[in-house]
Amino acid sequence: MPENENLTDVIKLISDIRHGKVFNSYEIALRTEQLLEKLISEGQWNNARELMQQIKDKIRQVSQSLPLEATATNIMRHILKVIREEFDLGSEKKAEGQSLHQIVTGDQSDELDYSESHGNLRNRLLDHLTEYKVELETSTENIAAQALEHIHTNEIILTVGISNTVEKFLKHAAKQRKFQVIVVEAAPLYRGHKMAASLANSNIQTTVIPDSGVFAMMSRVNKVIIGTHSVMADGGLRAASGVHAIALAAKHYSVPVMVLSHMYKLTPTYVCSHEKDTFNMCASPANVIPYSTGPLLNKITVYNPIFDYVPPELVTLFISHQGGNAPSYVYRLLSELYHPDDYEL
Amino acid sequence: MSIKSKDDIIQAVVVADTFGDEFLPLSSDIPLALFPLINRPLIDYTLEFLSLGGIEETFLFCCSHTDAIKAHINQSVKDKAGWSLTMKVNVIVSESCHSFGDCLRDLDRKGILRGNFVLLEPGTLSNIKLLPIVKKHNEVANKDKGAAMTVIYQEAGIGQMGRDLNEEVVVAVNNNNRVLFHRKLGQSRDRKIEFPLEIFLENSNVSLHHNLKDTHIAICSPSVLPLFSDNFDFQSKDDFVKGLLMNEEILGSTVYCHVTKGSHFGGAITNWRMYQAISHELQNKWIYPLQPPALKAHNLKNGVVTGDKVVLNDNKKIANSIIGDNVTIGKNVQIEHSFILSNTKIADNVIITHSVIGPNCHIKANSRITASSIIGKDVVIENEQFIENSLVQSTQPENCEEKDKLGKKAFRLKLETDDDDLGALSRKLSQLHIGDSPVEESEDEAFTDSEDEELSYTQSPVPDDTKLFFTEVIDSLTRGFEDELRCENLILEINSSRYAYNVTVKEVNFNVIKAILIMSLRFPIGAQYFSQFVRLLSFFAPILKNYIRNEGAMLDCLQAIEDVAISNENVNEKWVMFTMKWFYDKDFVTEDVIMEWSKSLDTKSRFYGQVKPFIEWLEEAEEASSSEDD
Repeated sequence: MPENENLTDVIKLISDIRHGKVFNSYEIALRTEQLLEKLISEGQWNNARELMQQIKDKIRQVSQSLPLEATATNIMRHILKVIREEFDLGSEKKAEGQSLHQIVTGDQSDELDYSESHGNLRNRLLDHLTEYKVELETSTENIAAQALEHIHTNEIILTVGISNTVEKFLKHAAKQRKFQVIVVEAAPLYRGHKMAASLANSNIQTTVIPDSGVFAMMSRVNKVIIGTHSVMADGGLRAASGVHAIALAAKHYSVPVMVLSHMYKLTPTYVCSHEKDTFNMCASPANVIPYSTGPLLNKITVYNPIFDYVPPELVTLFISHQGGNAPSYVYRLLSELYHPDDYEL
Repeated sequence: MSIKSKDDIIQAVVVADTFGDEFLPLSSDIPLALFPLINRPLIDYTLEFLSLGGIEETFLFCCSHTDAIKAHINQSVKDKAGWSLTMKVNVIVSESCHSFGDCLRDLDRKGILRGNFVLLEPGTLSNIKLLPIVKKHNEVANKDKGAAMTVIYQEAGIGQMGRDLNEEVVVAVNNNNRVLFHRKLGQSRDRKIEFPLEIFLENSNVSLHHNLKDTHIAICSPSVLPLFSDNFDFQSKDDFVKGLLMNEEILGSTVYCHVTKGSHFGGAITNWRMYQAISHELQNKWIYPLQPPALKAHNLKNGVVTGDKVVLNDNKKIANSIIGDNVTIGKNVQIEHSFILSNTKIADNVIITHSVIGPNCHIKANSRITASSIIGKDVVIENEQFIENSLVQSTQPENCEEKDKLGKKAFRLKLETDDDDLGALSRKLSQLHIGDSPVEESEDEAFTDSEDEELSYTQSPVPDDTKLFFTEVIDSLTRGFEDELRCENLILEINSSRYAYNVTVKEVNFNVIKAILIMSLRFPIGAQYFSQFVRLLSFFAPILKNYIRNEGAMLDCLQAIEDVAISNENVNEKWVMFTMKWFYDKDFVTEDVIMEWSKSLDTKSRFYGQVKPFIEWLEEAEEASSSEDD
């Protein structure tokens, strides 16, 4: 079956993500980009419509098997928008002919138009993808480059767990300024330990505190800088569990919370329910309470959720490679990134 | 390099059949590999685990229902299941095999395994990362040419659901994790385990483990297969380990073990109890990242998981159960701790507890199915049937008796059980665990208690001092009564045992009186009984006087009476009355204490019924005396 054939690469990606072979979002982003590049350059498609259909199939496949995986689907969604734009640019006459009336009434003839074949669409898309790839690769550096605008001398910064982006951000600032970092260890995985070790190696004055000490320490903190798993459409965060508590403590002491986020983390979906599997998932309880505990485990259910939802009012600023944005501006960024027709597939 | 290529691809062998009758009648229609575990076939979990663990080629050994398994594997490959991308699955069919050992002998003849391989017993699922363990096995095998197998165990506490009571195991290992001693306790009633002295003499460091459960996963060297071929009596992996350790010198092979901790989980579905336990653990994410399919497992309240297209007319009374695809459930149906497989229809007012209902069944209205009943495929249960602790299948078994026919498509299946206790015990341990409902808990609890005594767990070295004290007191008193020793001496003896076992005063009072009362139960029941009883009590009167000194002690005394009366079902009806009256008449207990104690009694219990006349008599006596005062 040709349709299944096309999905093989995406299933490979899904199984790799599931089995933890590709772990951080940056790697997932690169893998997705490669996958799309291959599809566009070598794939079997004759016109924009077919290509878009294939990408939509992939998005569906990913969101079905990994409802929580946002990076891969976001990138594919963005590429859908790119295809639409490139197509519109290609068919000049259509762009000219588009009257105000057509825009307002939302003429449905679009669907048909995409089936026209374009000689150089493939090349232009590939050009665009190369550009996009460079954007992906430099995104972390671009975010880090803004560090000096936000971190000042002798400030105390609080961060939680491990995040590549935050790590680079802090290290970049440390080249020119002296400041102190408090790392929350983030039980039960204690990834904060690794983060702290790495920061300390770059001569940043680092303190590790347990999750329970956050509230006590917050009064001295000047800024909270964290990474996130994804940014929801309302500007809220899906971040590692424990971040909500930290954000609330920051709110209490009026400490600004800054979230470093790549563009591909912006997700056009809303949180519908905290309990639903579509928002959160639970990992093995073994990290919370070991299996050898005994018969107690027959009677109790242990939850070890991976994510926290942080509502937008607790976030002060998103920092992406384009600069800082307030949570209320996320909707605007979303409409720049994705076509409204692709929000839900 | 040929050696290189051997190391490159790690092969796994999965034996798909259990060969036993644990899962009858369901296993006669569905192979174990395709049993749905939270609405996904078991084999899918196993294969996902293997691919996740880094295995690239798997041999799946089937002996029955081979077409169904083959079809399922082919379909999965077609659907591009996650594992199919990184792992090749070969189905080996061998219908002549009748045991696990036969399968391995067959494999040896085929000669398809190249190097070390991973061996999975039937129904295994796990999330253990295999590659590091395989690597370790290789290192060990390089040092010790005889290393045949690394058995993987997981740390687990005593009494945990995921620990198969049939497979309780004691392992002794040395510094290098070489297994020196391996004993399956399972159904044995030995109170003691004897360790050969050599293992302590020959090794500077020996650790004994009883905190382990078998994951049913083993890493094998190529020498395992010839060993199975040479020894025809090896039927299972346990036979293999046992045989190897017994004849270590002759066979020149050694067994190693690996203990996993933390988030690594492993286990096998070997019977219904384990099916229940592993479903529970899968539901609670212990086997993460293995998890039930998101689309086919909808989590409802009260621990209920349902599949696709399930029709629930009202789900107020459904708890802790797993319901398959296309199941229709009528009104006012109560389902607890049960598994309903796909395409089954359940009519109104049905009660199902602790049972498994097979696929395509039809349970008609007002039926009751309880106490670990297993209903096979296509069974139709007629209206108002009551099924308890039975296996039911849709086709008529051979030599079926008339009373076992429950309906046109429902026949009770009897297994050829060994009549001895061992068979019954192991069967009981294999059934669904019935421990969560309050009514049945006491029974089950009592059962595990007796189990404790029988098995004498090595991990619980602290024996119950109070119990020891009690047996000692009984011994002293019996001897004293028979030899007519002086009571002062007996008191001295009891007091010294009291200090030896560090028992509180309260417990001393309670146990001494309990001991005396229990002695009274040994007299033959007849006309002479009560006179003998009085003689016994009078003999021990000085002792009673010594211990019953205050109101607290009186309460202990009454509790002892209660305890003895309740724990000995067959005591004479009048025994309680008689004992109470004697203690009251001799002023050992006062009226006030009796009245206070009687308030704490459960008015519904049988015991209360026995005491009630006495208390009423007391009340009347009191009223009479108080009216006299007026």
